[in-house]
Amino acid sequence: MKKVSQQVQKAVQTPTPNQQQKISRRQFFFLLIQTQIGVGVLSLPSDLHQVAKQDGWISLAIAGSLLPIILIVLYFIAKQFPNDDFYQINEKLFTRWGGVVFSILYIIYFCMVARLILLLFGRMISLWVLPNTPFWVLALCMVVVGLYMCNGGLLVIARFYTMVSILLIFLIVLMFLSFKEAHWMYLLPIGEVGIGKILQGSTEAFMSFLGFFLSLVVFSKVEGKPREKLKTILQAHLFTFSFYMLTLLISYSFFSTKELSLVTEPLLYMLKSFEMPFVARIDLFFISVWFVSVATSYTTYLYMASFGLQQIFRAKSIKLFTLIVSILIFSLSQFVGLDMERLEKYSTIVVYEGYALTFLMPFLLLVYVLIYKRIQQKKERST
Amino acid sequence: MGFMKRLFFGDHEKLKDRTIVDQAKEPEQPSSTKLADNVDYLTNEFNRTSDLRIRILEKGQAALMYLETLVDQEKLHEAIFSPIELGHVDDISKIPSSRVTKNLEEAIKALLKGHAIYIQDGSRHISQFNVTASFNRSTEEPQNEKIVRGSHDGFIENIMVNINLVRKRIENRDLTIKYFKVGKKTNNNMALLYLDGVTDPELVQEIEHRLKYISADMIHSPGYVEEFIEDQTFSPFPQMLNTERPDRVVANLIEGRVAIMNEGSPTTLIAPSTFFSFYQSSDDYNMRWFTGTFVRLIRLASFIIAVGMPAFYIAVVSFHFEVIPDELIMPVKQTINGIAYPPLIEALVMVVIIELIREAGIRLPQPIGQTIGIVGGLVIGDAVVKAGLVSNLMVIVVALTAIASFVVPSNEMSTTLRLLTFPLIFLAGTLGFIGITFGFMMILIHMTRLESFGVPYLSPVAPLRIKDLKDTFIRVPIYLMNERPKDSRAIQPGVVGPSREWKEVERSNNQQQPKQSIEEGKSTGSESGPNADS
Repeated sequence: MKKVSQQVQKAVQTPTPNQQQKISRRQFFFLLIQTQIGVGVLSLPSDLHQVAKQDGWISLAIAGSLLPIILIVLYFIAKQFPNDDFYQINEKLFTRWGGVVFSILYIIYFCMVARLILLLFGRMISLWVLPNTPFWVLALCMVVVGLYMCNGGLLVIARFYTMVSILLIFLIVLMFLSFKEAHWMYLLPIGEVGIGKILQGSTEAFMSFLGFFLSLVVFSKVEGKPREKLKTILQAHLFTFSFYMLTLLISYSFFSTKELSLVTEPLLYMLKSFEMPFVARIDLFFISVWFVSVATSYTTYLYMASFGLQQIFRAKSIKLFTLIVSILIFSLSQFVGLDMERLEKYSTIVVYEGYALTFLMPFLLLVYVLIYKRIQQKKERST
Repeated sequence: MGFMKRLFFGDHEKLKDRTIVDQAKEPEQPSSTKLADNVDYLTNEFNRTSDLRIRILEKGQAALMYLETLVDQEKLHEAIFSPIELGHVDDISKIPSSRVTKNLEEAIKALLKGHAIYIQDGSRHISQFNVTASFNRSTEEPQNEKIVRGSHDGFIENIMVNINLVRKRIENRDLTIKYFKVGKKTNNNMALLYLDGVTDPELVQEIEHRLKYISADMIHSPGYVEEFIEDQTFSPFPQMLNTERPDRVVANLIEGRVAIMNEGSPTTLIAPSTFFSFYQSSDDYNMRWFTGTFVRLIRLASFIIAVGMPAFYIAVVSFHFEVIPDELIMPVKQTINGIAYPPLIEALVMVVIIELIREAGIRLPQPIGQTIGIVGGLVIGDAVVKAGLVSNLMVIVVALTAIASFVVPSNEMSTTLRLLTFPLIFLAGTLGFIGITFGFMMILIHMTRLESFGVPYLSPVAPLRIKDLKDTFIRVPIYLMNERPKDSRAIQPGVVGPSREWKEVERSNNQQQPKQSIEEGKSTGSESGPNADS
């Protein structure tokens, strides 16, 4: 009888084992694509166009085919520590305090990206939808969504991302509207700007994939063998890459090179020109759906930052940290607001930091990890 | 009962004073041999209530006591006096159908249940006779959950009759029923129904555990119970399905869910419930599956219409006029131009008026209720537009919204939808489309975060389980619903075996038959029968 009662108590004491529950690989896939596809989609075509003209898609192709190298590097790092998340790995590698410093570096970076997303979102909305609404109102919307979602934990985030991914289909269908008016001649001549410019463009294109760092942070929280996870990461990358390529090709085939230098958000301008029998101005619907994509990327960064803090302080709940980080991001973003010049400056800082922390650092980290493992093995052998 | 106590309580000290059926701890009052003492004790305990009847029998040597308001006089006569009249027994205390006790407290309980007790002077034995009167209405179809085809009976206020309706439909020894007593003062009966071997035992334990924690003077309806045991009370969404239909309860039990019934209320609670279970109706399964799917889709679309339609209209009219195609701009503009109020106020006024009409219609008797509908709907609607207070389009939009909110087969969900309209109207009035997206996102996040007894509220959509989508947006043919949905937490997966094999058999027979006939025509020597290659 006692045995039964113990069992009952056990069942009662742990009614929701959510905290330990891992996310499935499908959720991991959507987590990755929803993080990557975000603010960048609208401005990516014109950003690449500024550098590489109509050959911007080649730049994207180069970036897209080189990125898996970094993904694999991240995979090799994560594989060494199958049960630890990114911040725990840091502490193992660099001892407690060294690890904390290293983690804080990343946390600050994540916060900065979140702030950048907030600013870009505010700018885009005030340009296209609500010109008279003050920035803080728009920012508040985003911050509240992020806060509410993050407090549910990774599982809720993953579920939500999977669910709203159906909206991506909606975006793709909207983009396909332009196919009947596409002029593929605009893509010619191929390679006009020269290899130098194209490569320069691909460094720009790398930035659109920035969210991939998430794969390292939550790697240990995904079900399945490491190899399967790697497969998911690569699949997600392929999806994002194809999505970007589609947006790029559609906007480059719809607008000529000359026009493209004038329009900053080619997709929206394109959609604006269409009219369906029951609705005009499809771009407004597009932006509304795009809002969801932006919110998902923002939430991921918020989650990564507050999760890092939670690990550093060894806290049980993430709620306090999401609140602190949210308030921080929100209040700091007020200093920039809708000021274009400062926004540009700030975004270059974040971009450089992104290069350093997510493109270069993984390589160094991998070398260090391999050496570290070697030493560990030697130690084990000697004992 | 000590066994029950150990099972559910373990060693929790603080739980000791909970109200549980726990005979060992019941106050005990041994009866006395003196009749007068016993009667005195009982009358005092009942505070000399007027309906406690004491009939002195056998020249003051014995007493028959009962609460006349609870007792059926005919039954009393049949159970106690006719055996004596017919000469079967010579003493009331010897009637075999009685239960005997020596505990006066137990006698009090028996009296409260509507039993009659018989006490004799010089004896400590108290005989109890079940002569309860019960008044049942017929098991009619519930007014709020009518269907076109399918069974037309419904639960009533008597828990025994309700369980009988379920048992009749599930003739299986695994259907298990557990009684609870809840309400410290009212002592109501409550029953937990589940299918053993199908339902997750942890789920049953979890629900029992939560029921044990209820400590209230009165539990008068399932709504009470719901708020005591549901996971999230701070949510507009109902997390347990309320139904008065036996067939719905049975279907859910078979799926591996748990039903909670309450004495005195026809409503049964079903847990765990997901968002989509509120959109299922018994009707869906009696239609062709094409129609079933179509109706299901319409119902789910009504969710979006009911929540978002006024908001969308306001956003378009006050922020994004450019969304309207060229041909429509003039007519829309014309209806709005003369209106003094901003669309936000307009919409709020209209939605509140609709709610007023609805609420007024419910309370009033049927004939007057119709008048309210006519006065409210036609007269006010028409006059309000003519007076130039509200635009024509707004009346259309709000009316459509109201209709859409009534499409949901569950009343709780319908009220939720109407409530959710308001924040979205405000958001649309202040932030346009962005506000609507924000609002819908918050609602979706909230629903993703919700859990009903360990089951995500939005399953099988979030977390996505493609297999279980068979009974959400669409309804596939029954024989394809061969597995229980995961969101019921059932431990036994299969629910429909291969049931359309006859078609396969028929087809293989058709293929075999010509062959067979040829073979028969040729010779009888060959041994290959029709089953040779199957």
